[in-house]
Amino acid sequence: MDPKTVHIEFTLNGSPRSLEIPGAASALWVIRNLIGLKGAKEGCGIGECGACTIEVDGKAVNSCLMLAAQLDGADVLTVEGLASEDGLHPLQSSFLEHHGVQCGFCTPGLLMSTHALLKENPHPDHAQVSKAIAGNLCRCTGYRQIFASIEDAVKHNSGEAAQ
Amino acid sequence: MKPEYNVIGKSLPRTGSVDRLRGAPVFAADIQLENPLILKALRSAHDHAEVVAIDVSKALAIEGVVRIFTAADIPGKNLLGIINKDQPLLATDKVRSRSDAVALVAAETESAAHEALAAISVTYNPLPSVTDPFEALKTDAPKIHPKGNLLFSRKIRQGDAEAAFAGCASVIEKTYRTSMIEHNYLEPDAGAGFVDTDGTLVIYASTQNPHYDHKEVVTLLGLGDNQVRIIQAATGGGFGSKLDLNVQGFIGLALFHLKRPVRHVYTREEAYLATAKRHPLTLTVKTGADADGRLKAIKAHIVCDTGAYGSYGIAVASRSAVHVTGPYEIEHVDIESYCVYTNKPFCGAMRGFGAPQVAFAHESQIDLHARDLGMDPLDIRLKNCLRVGSKTGTGQVLTASVGIGECLEAVKPYYREALESGVSAPTHPFRRRGIGLGAMWYGIGNTGVQNPSTAGIEMDPEGHITLFTGCADIGQGSTTVLAQIAAETLGVQPAEIRMVVGDTKYTTNAGATSASRQTYISGNAVKDACQKLGDVLMTEAINRLHSPKDSLVFQDGHVVIKAGPENRPEDRIDFPCLAKRIHAKGVPLFWQGYFDPETIPLDPETGAGSPYATYAFACHLALLEVDTLTGQVTLEKLVAAHDVGQAIHPENVIGQICGGAAMGIGFALMEEFEPQKTVSMKDYHIPTCADVPTVIPIIVESAEPSGPYGAKGVGEPALIPTAPAIINAIARALGERIYHLPANLERVLAASISSGHFGPQEVTHG
Repeated sequence: MDPKTVHIEFTLNGSPRSLEIPGAASALWVIRNLIGLKGAKEGCGIGECGACTIEVDGKAVNSCLMLAAQLDGADVLTVEGLASEDGLHPLQSSFLEHHGVQCGFCTPGLLMSTHALLKENPHPDHAQVSKAIAGNLCRCTGYRQIFASIEDAVKHNSGEAAQ
Repeated sequence: MKPEYNVIGKSLPRTGSVDRLRGAPVFAADIQLENPLILKALRSAHDHAEVVAIDVSKALAIEGVVRIFTAADIPGKNLLGIINKDQPLLATDKVRSRSDAVALVAAETESAAHEALAAISVTYNPLPSVTDPFEALKTDAPKIHPKGNLLFSRKIRQGDAEAAFAGCASVIEKTYRTSMIEHNYLEPDAGAGFVDTDGTLVIYASTQNPHYDHKEVVTLLGLGDNQVRIIQAATGGGFGSKLDLNVQGFIGLALFHLKRPVRHVYTREEAYLATAKRHPLTLTVKTGADADGRLKAIKAHIVCDTGAYGSYGIAVASRSAVHVTGPYEIEHVDIESYCVYTNKPFCGAMRGFGAPQVAFAHESQIDLHARDLGMDPLDIRLKNCLRVGSKTGTGQVLTASVGIGECLEAVKPYYREALESGVSAPTHPFRRRGIGLGAMWYGIGNTGVQNPSTAGIEMDPEGHITLFTGCADIGQGSTTVLAQIAAETLGVQPAEIRMVVGDTKYTTNAGATSASRQTYISGNAVKDACQKLGDVLMTEAINRLHSPKDSLVFQDGHVVIKAGPENRPEDRIDFPCLAKRIHAKGVPLFWQGYFDPETIPLDPETGAGSPYATYAFACHLALLEVDTLTGQVTLEKLVAAHDVGQAIHPENVIGQICGGAAMGIGFALMEEFEPQKTVSMKDYHIPTCADVPTVIPIIVESAEPSGPYGAKGVGEPALIPTAPAIINAIARALGERIYHLPANLERVLAASISSGHFGPQEVTHG
């Protein structure tokens, strides 16, 4: 084995993964380039914009700042893991219904930050939502329709929004 | 009475949202190509320097480096620019800013490409540089381009401003400055390309104008039109910066020589360094009003710093001159606007083309007159605002759809309520509340120049409809809106129309997604195409339904006899049946639509003309609190009333209003791009959700007769009144005005100190 590579095993969107990765690679790089899931975006590469947000063991993290090696043994969820074969996740449906998507580049990160919040707190108030998504920059919407999307999902949340 | 529509005015789910929500690979950086080469550009090490020699030998020796391009490798014309061509793709004899690309590396891996950038040796002969536009206009200033540093000037003269000032009760003259602004769309510029089996260079790009890209790449490479195909990838915001050629030319050059798939994805740092900025403006504005508060005269001197290249600078200088009167009737006008080169990063289009900068000035001026004359800021605006029949500074008489008065009236209840609740009464020893208004007008489309759009509509013999448009949807929702316009015209649902968008192989030119022009101009082109197809369908239906054309309407994919007493099957005929018959007769089922707004170019000496066919109007109200000890401004509420003519998709309009307001907050309070200091997103702050207060959007619909179903535009207007409203509210809170944007902590604190509010104040408890 190349001494610069690391072997990791983790769960990604419900499926087990076993990979050899460059030791210095970020989680974002591995997810986008080795695994080929393009939902998580690189907007800044330094943890300022939140477009790369994924969920690791239930917590929202900036995957551009996390070493892929740290994923070893973790349960990882990306935006591709939200929708099922039956259709969109309730949170995604709410973004669609309330026009929370404009260019869509920040959308996957916002969904993951919100999804992690709802897991921890199924009925957050406005301030709690604001705190959870303050690290997810959007240059298009001015956030109003994003709040409307999230708050409607919270209103209808009987638990499935966090599944 | 408002006409009734089937799909116009309905907020349907937006086209493309589901893919984005699922995280589907739709953006240029997501596109997977077979073993692509990585492209990276080497940028200038100097503000201004001769390029003496470029030695690539060491870089070429690095494993994985395939080729290094310089200007000598460009087979066609190495000069770019949508209005004036002055910007080389790769530097030739000299560099004029640190944004300039000197060489382009193609490598097998990212790391090899980075290593190669460091190993290229460029010998420069540094030249004196100039970064201040006023210095650049002096005769002994370093010459940045062969023709000198003044790129363009625009004059607008009407009446006799100087004489009119003499008769004014209130004359105010002030100088206003705005900063360089970064667009900061969330998606850094990106593209990818490959050579198709027939030899066509296929380029996917994040872009606002695929057909302009196409023309530039063809010219750059000396190829025929059919040898290059640009496909707009999903575009993660643009706000004007993706109107310039960013990665497209580099990708084309590499494809031309190497015939291998390539990708070019800017890092955020490169997007900051290498793409256009908003022009910083310095404006000296003198206005005069009579004792009743009626504006009589304006004299304005505007300097737009365009940095090293023109890009859209001429449009910014021209639009600034037209718009500096604000949405007010002023008889005597004397305006000069200059676009000046400096050795800074180039400035181009950014949401509003100078209108946000000049609105800061005209809205400050009108508040200053109100204070001077003891008038209410809303009353003075209502007294002066444009109406149907008003003459603008360029002598254009407005004939319809002048909704500024309605916008002002729409915010009035919020304004009065805030005043009555004692917004200005001091209730805290270190905090002062303020209320402010900002109004604006915005000409839809390009300034006094032709800017047509085209579209195609096709019905196949089975009756399926396809709309072809070159209009780039960059997140604002034009694809959805154009589908609604087509659906309304043909009496179907938008979901029944297949959309082919932004692909130069299949679509014709719709012009740029800029100047808030696509709903109005491309919307009209789509409507025109659909009406032509509709006419063919109707003509065929006459024979089948035995009823005159004016008795027929489109309904749910049929032509039907309207207002029939009962819904008889023999009174209707479906599209597949009509299409089959029309096709059999050899009558075309594909139709092309076209629209170019009626404008009259501005006279070079007097500025007289009709630069736009229609104008959008808006008024924002800001309520805020200033911490007099720290300079911190906390926004409480924004009310944003916009005359959009007709909202085709109200939720899209609200999305534009709220997104624009957020960008206006950044422009007002926090954003400033400083060359060489602003390097990464750590150095440049845009509003987060915590910085944006409750925004109350109000849609005003003063229908535009020449618009598709009455529509105008809203993309840029959304941003323009926000900063003036905030600045006026700060001035009201502190009694001290800020003349330099952004009103950051330092500037607000300085205003707090000079106004005497720094330190505890007596409070009144109501």
